[in-house]
Amino acid sequence: MKRWQILFSIVILSVLTIASAVFNEGYVGIFVFSLIINGTMAVSYDIPGRSLGLISLGHAVFFGVGAYCFGLGISMGFSFFPSLFLTLLLSFIIAMLVTLLLAGLNHGYYSLATLGVLIIFQKIVETLEFVTGGSAGLYIPDVLSKHHYSLLAALLLLATAACHVFFSRSRWGLYSKETKASEDAAEVVGIPTRKVKILCLMTAAIPACMAGAIHLARTSYVSPPSGFSLTLSITALLSSRIVPVSGLLGPLLGVLLITTAEEVIWTKFEGFNHALFGLILLGAAFYQGLFSDKELARR
Amino acid sequence: MIQVLISGLFLGSVYALLAVGLSLAFGIMGILNLAHGSLAVLAAILYKKSLVFFPFSPWFFCVLSMPVFLAFGFLLHLVIVAPFRNLSLSASVVASLIASLGIALILEDIFVWWQGWEPISTYIPFPTFNLLNLKIPGLRAVLLGMATATIGLSTIFLKKTDMGRSMRALAQDKEAASLYGIHPGFTSMSALGLATILAGLAGIFYSSLYPLGPRQGLDLTLKALFIVVAGGMGNLRGPAVAGLVLGFIESFAAYLFTYTSTDTIVYSLLVAYLVLKRSGRHQ
Repeated sequence: MKRWQILFSIVILSVLTIASAVFNEGYVGIFVFSLIINGTMAVSYDIPGRSLGLISLGHAVFFGVGAYCFGLGISMGFSFFPSLFLTLLLSFIIAMLVTLLLAGLNHGYYSLATLGVLIIFQKIVETLEFVTGGSAGLYIPDVLSKHHYSLLAALLLLATAACHVFFSRSRWGLYSKETKASEDAAEVVGIPTRKVKILCLMTAAIPACMAGAIHLARTSYVSPPSGFSLTLSITALLSSRIVPVSGLLGPLLGVLLITTAEEVIWTKFEGFNHALFGLILLGAAFYQGLFSDKELARR
Repeated sequence: MIQVLISGLFLGSVYALLAVGLSLAFGIMGILNLAHGSLAVLAAILYKKSLVFFPFSPWFFCVLSMPVFLAFGFLLHLVIVAPFRNLSLSASVVASLIASLGIALILEDIFVWWQGWEPISTYIPFPTFNLLNLKIPGLRAVLLGMATATIGLSTIFLKKTDMGRSMRALAQDKEAASLYGIHPGFTSMSALGLATILAGLAGIFYSSLYPLGPRQGLDLTLKALFIVVAGGMGNLRGPAVAGLVLGFIESFAAYLFTYTSTDTIVYSLLVAYLVLKRSGRHQ
């Protein structure tokens, strides 16, 4: 990552953190909160997305798992922080199970399986009505103030960004790049490719789970389609990919672009938000199609 | 129990038809077309709308819709395949996946705007007949026959016609096929056209049997994709058999458990299969 990219990333993160402290009520407060949550999702998605080249269509699985674990904790009578700890614990176990299942898959199969897992979780949560509230969703009471939730979300984004930087600079980051280039070659030189994939996917899963928990804490409501949302997964995918800049800056700029576009679409084009989102996807795909792989890599 | 088996057979034949089209597109062009199910929904809507003006029988409409869906396939090729020709295989798979998802989302909103949220049902009354003390719904039996005939004709088309052979050659080795004078662009466009026709027919058959929601396209695509993965990418026999198996599983799951748990069971089995299947894993 070049120096200007590091500086620019720090500026964006600082602005978002300050904005979360200043604007925590009203429309702007909600928008800033969305930016931070989507930012956490995009940055966490980018860890395996960019280093391993895996396209997940189900990153929102972890968001939904986090939200429901937290919601169940609060519903069982735990206070905020014990519920958050419980979420971390349960999310870790579930994320580990999902990761262990999917770590062996490559490319198209991985994308397909992640989409399948997203739907499975959605259906399971819908079926377990007595625990999760089923299709009607889960309501929880407001425990802390909006101000606290925004700051917690900003802290989570900073922690996720730190994980992104540390992972990409660590030997595991280098291992993952080697694994992406050629899994066979990586294994020949002694890189434990499966372990690399699991570590990489887990580093991405935990922040997404916590983002789900904090999002539920602020909004007080989660339902199977909103928790395990395909749109959220695609937002993370697009945010991570749409700006062809390496390192942390890519997903951060991407999330500013996509979340703003998403907000405009939701408010101005009601009823056609999926269609406009589809157009953005088409645009992103065409953008990729305009250049050869070498050209994209050079950029 | 046998009645459930028969019901599974009917549903499975429609899934098989849907999956065969998807398998054709993957085998020849290497693309995972996420808009495949949405094209099936489009066909169902077109059929329902056309019924207002002309009381077409499903089989007559199937024949009429073929050129229309061939044209849709050609158009789709221009959007989800042609722009990514210069990319590497893995990059083109990702790009076409994203582009086809974009098309699926656009189509879903158009369907809701055009048709509303009401599920599309094109059921037409048809006599039921008895066979060995079993009640066989006539419409389902006819549709099963048509689905089987379509898959059979597609196989014959691929094996016996020049265009079919070109498609198979392209699937085996693109560069070698080009050296022998096969035009990759036109051939892959024709393959996607054929796949789209199969998706359209599956949509018409499905909506004749069960109500089809305007946003159910992605769900259908996903099931078809899993069938294709389970049955083997790029061949027609495997997905046809896997489609039938999925139909049986769904029918038995609905019979043994609740209808709402069907999807959970089916998707869990499919993901388990995907995870255990060796071809999806790094060797």
